Amino acid sequence: MIVLQSVTKTYGEVRAVADVTLAISRGEFVFLMGTNGAGKTTLLRLISREEEPDAGVVLVGGVSTTEMSSTALTRLRRRLGVVFQDTRLLPNATVSENVALPLRVRGKRRAEVEYRVSAVLERVNLADKEARFPYELSGGEQRKVAIARAVVAGPDILLCDEPTESLSAERADDIVDLLLDINAEGVTTLVATHDLGTVNRLRRRVICMDDGEVQSDTPIGSVEWPQATNYSS
Amino acid sequence: MLASFHTTRYLVGSALTGLWRNRTMTGGAVVTTAIMLITLAGFLAINDTLNQMVTELGRKSNLIAYIRDDARPTHVTALIKDLRSRTGVREVRFVSKDDALAIFESRFVDQRDILDVLQSNPLPASVELHLNDPAVVPGLAQELQAMTSLFDDVVVPLDIVEEIIGISNLARVAGTAIIISLTGVTLFVIVNTIRIAVFARRQEIEIMKLVGATDWFVRGPFVAEGAVIGTSGGGIAAIVLVALYAQVTPAVTRIVSFLPVSTDAEFVRNLAVFTLLVGLVVGSLGSYFSVRRYLSV
Repeated sequence: MIVLQSVTKTYGEVRAVADVTLAISRGEFVFLMGTNGAGKTTLLRLISREEEPDAGVVLVGGVSTTEMSSTALTRLRRRLGVVFQDTRLLPNATVSENVALPLRVRGKRRAEVEYRVSAVLERVNLADKEARFPYELSGGEQRKVAIARAVVAGPDILLCDEPTESLSAERADDIVDLLLDINAEGVTTLVATHDLGTVNRLRRRVICMDDGEVQSDTPIGSVEWPQATNYSS
Repeated sequence: MLASFHTTRYLVGSALTGLWRNRTMTGGAVVTTAIMLITLAGFLAINDTLNQMVTELGRKSNLIAYIRDDARPTHVTALIKDLRSRTGVREVRFVSKDDALAIFESRFVDQRDILDVLQSNPLPASVELHLNDPAVVPGLAQELQAMTSLFDDVVVPLDIVEEIIGISNLARVAGTAIIISLTGVTLFVIVNTIRIAVFARRQEIEIMKLVGATDWFVRGPFVAEGAVIGTSGGGIAAIVLVALYAQVTPAVTRIVSFLPVSTDAEFVRNLAVFTLLVGLVVGSLGSYFSVRRYLSV
């Protein structure tokens, strides 16, 4: 489903991703672990084609993202759901308008949009806050809105960048449970995090990154001590 | 087809919502657009007045050619017919010897004795040319002066004509230069105002692209918003101009009566339509190009 072959991305002198090769199968749930600056966010941005690699190939569904036309890129983006680290909710739009955006861009009918937005907000327990603006919500609620927006159109792939950052353990568990639910429906889910507790509790595939390189790729595992000390923040 | 209807409805709704939710920025852009268009249209009106003054001045340039007594009347008649068909010539008047005498007598009533001394009418017949464009005077004078079998003398105040031509050219060049500069400044300010409004919402554009919006889906509401901002600014400018013309022009015409200020409804209407159209086009295109730079996500 997602394949990276010898992918490198640099920003000036900084090597954000260095010669990374990996493959993620359809329906997998994968944690991407690493400290700040390890290259997790860049890797997700390469998959969603927010960035293009300096070298190597990124394949999504067998198609190289670097050789995509504008139309093909739009099609790719419609297969993806992305939860950004900073949520990137539209500040001047209500919760329901934010969540509805991926459906609107697909030209869905109003009734369908309302139905699906309502259903997904119910699922993330924010049905009563559909008319609120992002600044009226807590950090955890904003993350849930971002997740709702990412999944409302039924993506094949869900990319989440630090979805539990700065949240209490209870709220972080809420979010992770939600992501597991979504994954259980067959959505390939890639979660960048440095939340060691969550990673070790769930025992899913973990790809550890450091200085832009893949340090380890554990199929069903946990991050072991002392390696783990690097990630606790 | 159905999807495009829903999309269009969404685009229009989105544009109106965007304008309302960013109303401070929208208001600023509308007011800036209006001020710039009022300035531009105001100067266009001033330039029009200036041009009319120059044209009026040009109409005052006359040329008199004195006909020889032995000139053939058929040749004179043919020439007058020819002169009437020339561009820049407003009126050609034939003054016969008798007419000239009558004019002299009417002007110099107290000095009729002078004529009594003479046996015959010494005044020559003449052709008086009243012109629209002073630029044609020197050429025409030269042409008539060369017709020695028809004319004794051609009288033309060349120094005055040249001064009029100079003033006219200067006014036109300066007016055009100022209009071009002011148009440039107006477009620059309006487009930059819209760019600032778009810049403030660049994240919105990026997000829309990242959730799978096509370029036109993102651009549509912004272009519609730009059109609304431009048209609103143009509309305000048009209303202010019409009101100013209705209130100020009669007073100006009364106080400075020699100024040929355009007061006709058509001129004011054209100016109003001009500001509306400029607002619409600049607003739409300004948004179109401002959004483009953020679409490459």
